Amino acid sequence: MKSNHHSPPSILLKFFRWFCDPNLVEDIEGDMVERFEKRIENKGHKKARRLFVRDVFQLLRPGIIKSFSGHQKLNQIDMLKHNLLISFRSFMRYKSAFLINLIGLSSGLACTLFIYLWVQDERGIDKFHTNDANLYQVITHHEESGAIRTQDDTQGILAEALEKEVPEIEMALQSTPAFWFGDMPLTIGDKTIKAPGKFVDKRYFEMFTFPLIDGTAESVLASKESIVLSESLAKSLFNTTEGLIGKTLHWQLLNMERTYQIGGVFEDVPANSTETFDFVMSYEVFSDIVGDGMQWGNYNALTYVTLKPNVDVDHLNEKLAPFVKNKVSWSNVTPSLRPYSDKYLYSKYENGVQAGGRIEYVKLFSIISIIILIIACINFMNLSTAKASRKAKEVGVKKAIGAQRKTLIFQYMEESFLMTFVAIVLAIGLVLLFLPQFNDLTNKQISLVFDTNLVKALGAVLVITGFIAGSYPALYLSGLNSITALKGKMKSSIAELWARKGLVVFQFTISIILIVSVLIVHKQIDFVQNKNLGYEKENLVLFANEGKVATNHDAFIDRVKALPGVVNASSTAHTIINGGSTTTGLTWEGQNPEIETSFGNISVFHDFIETLGVEVIAGRSFSNELVSDSSKLILNEKAIEVIGMTDPVGKMVNLWGQDMQIIGVVKDFHFQSLHETVTPMFFKLDPSFLTNIVVRIEAGQERTVVDRIESVYKEYNPDFDFNFTFLDQDYAQQYASERRISTLSRCFGGIAIIISCLGLFGLAAFTAERKSKEIGVRKALGASSVSIVRLLSNEFNKMVGLAVLIALPLSYYLISGWLEGFAYQIDLKVWYFLGAGAAALFIAWLTVGLQTFKAAKINPSQSLRSE
Amino acid sequence: MGKNHLGEFEEIVMLTVAILHGEAYGVAIIEEMESRLNRTVSIGSLQVVLKRLEQKGYVSSEFGEATNIRGGKRKRFFTLTNLGKGLLKTSRDQRLSLWDAAPDYALKAISI
Repeated sequence: MKSNHHSPPSILLKFFRWFCDPNLVEDIEGDMVERFEKRIENKGHKKARRLFVRDVFQLLRPGIIKSFSGHQKLNQIDMLKHNLLISFRSFMRYKSAFLINLIGLSSGLACTLFIYLWVQDERGIDKFHTNDANLYQVITHHEESGAIRTQDDTQGILAEALEKEVPEIEMALQSTPAFWFGDMPLTIGDKTIKAPGKFVDKRYFEMFTFPLIDGTAESVLASKESIVLSESLAKSLFNTTEGLIGKTLHWQLLNMERTYQIGGVFEDVPANSTETFDFVMSYEVFSDIVGDGMQWGNYNALTYVTLKPNVDVDHLNEKLAPFVKNKVSWSNVTPSLRPYSDKYLYSKYENGVQAGGRIEYVKLFSIISIIILIIACINFMNLSTAKASRKAKEVGVKKAIGAQRKTLIFQYMEESFLMTFVAIVLAIGLVLLFLPQFNDLTNKQISLVFDTNLVKALGAVLVITGFIAGSYPALYLSGLNSITALKGKMKSSIAELWARKGLVVFQFTISIILIVSVLIVHKQIDFVQNKNLGYEKENLVLFANEGKVATNHDAFIDRVKALPGVVNASSTAHTIINGGSTTTGLTWEGQNPEIETSFGNISVFHDFIETLGVEVIAGRSFSNELVSDSSKLILNEKAIEVIGMTDPVGKMVNLWGQDMQIIGVVKDFHFQSLHETVTPMFFKLDPSFLTNIVVRIEAGQERTVVDRIESVYKEYNPDFDFNFTFLDQDYAQQYASERRISTLSRCFGGIAIIISCLGLFGLAAFTAERKSKEIGVRKALGASSVSIVRLLSNEFNKMVGLAVLIALPLSYYLISGWLEGFAYQIDLKVWYFLGAGAAALFIAWLTVGLQTFKAAKINPSQSLRSE
Repeated sequence: MGKNHLGEFEEIVMLTVAILHGEAYGVAIIEEMESRLNRTVSIGSLQVVLKRLEQKGYVSSEFGEATNIRGGKRKRFFTLTNLGKGLLKTSRDQRLSLWDAAPDYALKAISI
C-alpha cells in the first residue's frame, strides 16, 4: 500500500467528510485524492499538499456543504419549526397580551440585570489586589463599659511586633488612612496643589497591587525622604509622569513642612478601591511626628498583614487574641484579622461579632431582583392560563391526532423560552440605554461587558425564567381532556381559579410590602438627616488649618472674627461629623478599674462651643482671659452619667496622669455618625494641634462672607486654593450612600408595582373580553355603566384587598427588623401602612377601572351582533 | 428558450461530458476543460454545476467500479440525457442562426 508520505493530509480529509453533503462525499473525495496523486508525480509532494488544501477550502460552498437540517429529515426539527411558527402566530394575533408579557418580562429582566451588575461591582471592591486571598487587615476589639467596640485603628507599633513574633504572618505593615489629614498642600516652584495622601510602610507597594509606572515596589519608599505620586497628581504638578524620580517638592501639614524627593509614580487608584489617595510618604516620618506617642495605648495606624499559604485564619485569630494583653497587662484590646476585601461589605461589628454592613444592601437587592423577576413570571403564567380557552381547540386537535402530553409540554415550554429570549435581548438593550442614568444614581462606573460570568448568568436567567414562566401553562394546557377541549366548553376548575387568584394576591402582597418598605426607608433616612444634632449645622463653614494660617493661627482667627457677617470663629482637631480621636486615658475617683470607658477627645480653641452652638447646661465655657483653662475640661451629659457624678462642676478627674478640673457640662450633641448613639466625650483646650477652622456666619449672605474669609486666607496663603465646605453639606454627604440606596429601592419598588399592574391590566382586559356578551345582555336590559364597572372590578378588588390584609402585618414585621439597626428610629405610624395599602388599591382600581370602563361603554349591539 | 436556459459554464461542462463520452467523471472533466480551454477549474465549482445539471435532468450519473487508485473511492460517471442533448442542440442552433443573421462586415475585426 501507499506510504503515509503520499497520502493527503488526513485531518483535512476528515474535515471534508464532516462538512460535505453525504450524497457527494465519495466521488468528490475520490476526485481529490486522484488529483493529489497526479500532482505528486507532476509537481512534487509539497505543492500537491498545498493545492490539496486549496481544493478542500474551495469546496466550502453552498451546494457542497450538507444542509443544516441534517441528512435525514428529523421529526424533532420539523416540530421545533412548527412550534416556533405557532408561537409567532399567537404573538401576532394577540398583540396586547404579547406586549404586556414582553414589557413586563423585559423590564423585570432589565432590573435583574442592573442589580446583578451592581452586586458584582459591590462584591468586586478591593478584590483587585493580587494577593487578595492572603491579605488581611488587623482590627481591634475594645472592651469598654461592659460592651465591645470594634475599630479599624490599631497601635502604630503593632505591625512590627506581629511580623517578628507570629510565624504564620508573612508580612505586616502599617499605614495611616488618607482621611486623617484631609488634602495636604504640595508645592513645586510657585505651583501648589492640595491632594489626599497618607503615610505608609516602605513595603506598601509590595503588599498592595497599585501598579507603579515609574520605580520598583522595593525601592520607591526606601528613603525616608521619598514621596510617591499618583499618575494624575504627577501630571497636574509636572505635566508628565516620566523622569520625575529624584525631583523635589515641598509638603506641608499644619505647621510642619518637609522637602521630599519623588521616589516613583503609581497608576491612579482604581474606582473599586476603598482607599483613595494621591500620594504616599514613609510611615517613619509619621512616627517621628508622633514621637513617644507610639505606644500600646495609642491608636495611630491601620495594620495590614499577609499570611503564609495554608494558614487557618480562625485558629490564628484565637492565637492572636491575647497578643496585646501579653504586651501590656492593663490593655482591654483583642486584635483579630479580617480579610482585606471584606472591609467594604462587612464593616459592622456588634459587641465584637461581625454583624453585616453593606452586604445587607447587597442581599436586599438580590432578593428584590428575584422578586421582580417572579412578579414578571407570574404575569406570563396568569395570562397564558387565562387565555387557555383560545388554545384549547389547538390542544384538542393535537391530542386527537395523537400528540403526547410530552410534546405539548415541550411546545409551551418552547413558547415561554422564546418569549424569555426576546425579553432578554430587549432587556440588554434597556440596560445599555439606561446605564448612564444608573451610574449617576449609584455613583459607580459600571459598564456592560459580556464576559463569561455575565453570559453564564444570562443563560441561567434564561433557563430559570423560561422554566418558571412556562411551567404552569405547559403543565395545565397539556393536561386538558381532548374531548372537552374540542367541544370548546372550557370550564375553569376551582383549583385553576384559585391558582390564578393566588398568584395575583401573591404579586400584590409583594408589591405592597415593597411600597411600605420604600416609604419607611425614605422616612427613616429623612429623619436621620434632619435630626436635631444638638447644635445648628447650618451656616457653618469649615476649612483646613494649614500653611501660614496654621503658624499664625490665633491672629488669623481674630481677623476672621472681626469680619462683617461672621458670627464667631474657632478651630478644633475634630472632624465634627466623622468622629475623631478617642481615649481611655480619663480616670476618676471611684472608677471601677475593671471597666474601661472610651471618651471622645475633642481638642478645641477658644469659642468653639459657642461657634458650634452647643448648649452649656452647667458651669461655664472656656474663657479667653484665663490661661489656666488648659488644665480644665468640659464634659457632655453622657460622660457625667457614665462617671456617675452629681454636681460635677469644679470636681477633678485625671487625664493621662494629669489632674483636670471640670468647669462645665454641655448638653449631649452628635459628633459621630447617627448609626451610633451619643458617647461620652470631653472638650479640652489645646491650641497645639488644631486641624479644622470653623466659622459661623450670618444666614442670607453666605457668598459674600465666604469671599471675605477667602481674601483674609489668601493674605496668609497666597499660593493655596481656598477649599471650604459647609457643615450641613458634609453631613448630607455622609448619608449619600444611604440616600442612594433609598432612591434605588424606590426605583425598583416602582418597577415592581408597574409590572404587577401590567399583569392585572392584562387579566382585566381578558375578563372584560370574555364577559362581553354578558355585558351586552345586561346593558340591553338597562344596566348602567357604573354597575357594570362595579361588577367587573369586584373580583379584582377582593384579590387586592386580600393582598393588603396579608401584606401589612408582614411588612410591619420586616421593617421593624430593619429599623432596629439604627440608633435613632422613626416611630412607625399607622398611616404609613394604611397609606401604602390604599395606594395599592387605588393603583389596582385605576388599572382595572380603565379596562372595565372601556368594556362597559361598548354598544351592546356590537357585542351581541356576532353569533 | 424560456426556462431551459444554459449558463456558459454549464454549457461547457455538458459539452465536455459529451467529448469524454462514457469516461466523464470529476477529474477527467476538469483535465479536459483545462487542456482544451486553458482555464483552471476547481473541484468545488464543477461539482456544484454537475449537481445542478443533474437536478434539472440534463445529465445522469452512475458509480463505476472501485479501483486501487484514488483511495479506493468509486468514480461517478456522467452522461448526457436526451433532454440534455436536445438542449445542447437547440443552444447550438440558436447560436448558429444568430451567426447567420449577423452580416459579415459587422463581425469583421477592424484593421488588425
